[in-house]
Amino acid sequence: MIEKELDVVIIGSGAGGGAVASALGPLAAAGARIAVLEWGPKLREHEFTGQELEMARRLYFDRGGMLTRDLGMTLAFGRGYGGSTVVYTGTSLTIPPRVVVKWNVPGLDAEDVLRRSEKVLEQNNVHLLDEALLNDNNRLFRDGCRRLGWAVEQFPINVKGCQGAGLCNLGCPNAAKQGTHRVQLPAAERQGVKVVTNCRVERVEERGCVATVVPSPLGELSAWEPGEYRIRAKAVVVCAGAVNSPALLLRSKLPVALPALGLYFTAHPALILVAQHARAITNHHGHPKSFYCDQFARTGRFLLETCMYFPFTTAKSLAGFGAEHSRLMSGMDRLQMILVLALDDARPENRVTLDSRGGPVVDYSLSDRLLDSLHEAMKASARIFFAAGAERVHAPAGQRFLIESSERDRLDELIPRSGVKPGKVPIAAAHLMGGCRMGSSLTDSVTDCWGQVHGLPWLYVADASLFPGCAEINPYVTIMALADRVAERVAASVGKN
Amino acid sequence: MGVLGQREWDFLFRVSQRIVPEAQRLGPDGRKQFRAIAEEALSERPSVLQRQFRLFLAVVRYAPAARYLAPFDWLDATRQDAVLAWFQDCPLGLVRKGFWGLKSLVYMGYYGRAEVWDSIGYRPDTRGNERLRVVR
Repeated sequence: MIEKELDVVIIGSGAGGGAVASALGPLAAAGARIAVLEWGPKLREHEFTGQELEMARRLYFDRGGMLTRDLGMTLAFGRGYGGSTVVYTGTSLTIPPRVVVKWNVPGLDAEDVLRRSEKVLEQNNVHLLDEALLNDNNRLFRDGCRRLGWAVEQFPINVKGCQGAGLCNLGCPNAAKQGTHRVQLPAAERQGVKVVTNCRVERVEERGCVATVVPSPLGELSAWEPGEYRIRAKAVVVCAGAVNSPALLLRSKLPVALPALGLYFTAHPALILVAQHARAITNHHGHPKSFYCDQFARTGRFLLETCMYFPFTTAKSLAGFGAEHSRLMSGMDRLQMILVLALDDARPENRVTLDSRGGPVVDYSLSDRLLDSLHEAMKASARIFFAAGAERVHAPAGQRFLIESSERDRLDELIPRSGVKPGKVPIAAAHLMGGCRMGSSLTDSVTDCWGQVHGLPWLYVADASLFPGCAEINPYVTIMALADRVAERVAASVGKN
Repeated sequence: MGVLGQREWDFLFRVSQRIVPEAQRLGPDGRKQFRAIAEEALSERPSVLQRQFRLFLAVVRYAPAARYLAPFDWLDATRQDAVLAWFQDCPLGLVRKGFWGLKSLVYMGYYGRAEVWDSIGYRPDTRGNERLRVVR
């Protein structure tokens, strides 16, 4: 076992780990020894090929399809230098203050989160795309919403030099997306933070952790030689994401009881919906995600967003099979797509536990209320598609595979609630939150409002697992804002010791 | 040997042709690719899931005997489709989820191949914005 002595060890390099590394950069420049341990590789530019299966294997855990225990939902989360910020679409929204208020974490106020979010937007070159760069898939959504009189907003996005490859979810092949792999991690490295890739942390120990560096056929060489490491540090910051952070702490056998560890895991369970137009539209060229509709965020508990996916992802997101499925798939250039995000409550029974080998297992029950939201969202999406001029719509809960535009007035009848059957209706989630939630009480939280684990002054969490409830928006800016808070506390504590 | 034996693979490929009819037209290279993709994806899953998948394949194969007095392979295409539709809509959630897993594997094997993309109108371009300007 190789021994390493550090001041701060950060586990994970996504939105949380990247933000902590960046905020601690000045400390490193002043001589502190800080390392980020990242499970995945740092891909070379030519390894971003845009090939669906290849990139899913390279950049996601379980290829983006980790199954919940009951097989009812798949979970997508990234791995590699930059974590999930390599594979999101770069949509950069700040959390509505009412959500922070609803989280009800003593000591966490919305104003502070918003101030730190502004800093993230500035760092990441967040802006609106020019009208000329919006493709038909996005314009049709906007125009459909407007015709219905529904609220529709443009997403600010964090790109620089975007060429419109439309491959954001497979890692931008043009290095345009300003994830932590492009902004925070390189900045931290310039100040002396070391990022160690291909390094899997096995467990956290008293003021330290045990990790293994394994050579990878992909990406750059790790900063550390292959082997097993015992790392001692004044502070350990866990930023491995909402699945892996609770799992890591669960298998670490910490010297304190944390009854809420792993509990209150939540997500935005999602559907990918598809409609067919009479002619080819521009959909795969251009940035894939420019608009969202939050008309129903409060009343129906769902958001609608533009999206555009790849052949396999599209095919598996449709209900049905055989000739009708093939006919729809055979004209991908005529497809318009909408992503439904249901806003699900955090419940203690939805949780992360461990399998016999110490790997994460996620229990997630799809409540009736959630399925109601998905049902309403399917009907609302169909209305947008038809208002945008689509010829036919595929609703996975529909009585038949396709609903024609001539039937647009019969959506309540043709998309019955009884058709929303998990398994038949493919449900996936990418915004994973909770499991190490902030709060003040041991019974329902794992950390305080600064991300410090209750009872362990040297251990912190700084990622989406801190969220006490769902964010109700795409979460990365909020993750970075909270991580910035945590880093402030870490810097103060390391300075004291 | 991979996760699936030859007989299981042959059966999976027969089912695949009902799920994606175009799979019938795959040549030897296409079939080889299809199998390699499916095998690799299966091999990366936990052994419990691999066993569940093999069991589910066996259920799809022999369950039709309860209704048609014949396994899946002996049924005509219409009945095979009816059996698969039953699995998709089954009152038991676990069966529906199993069928979704089966379908997903088939779609991965078929649509995951770059060879098919142009024919279905999927033509990604790293300079997508230039293509947008040309269209306009």
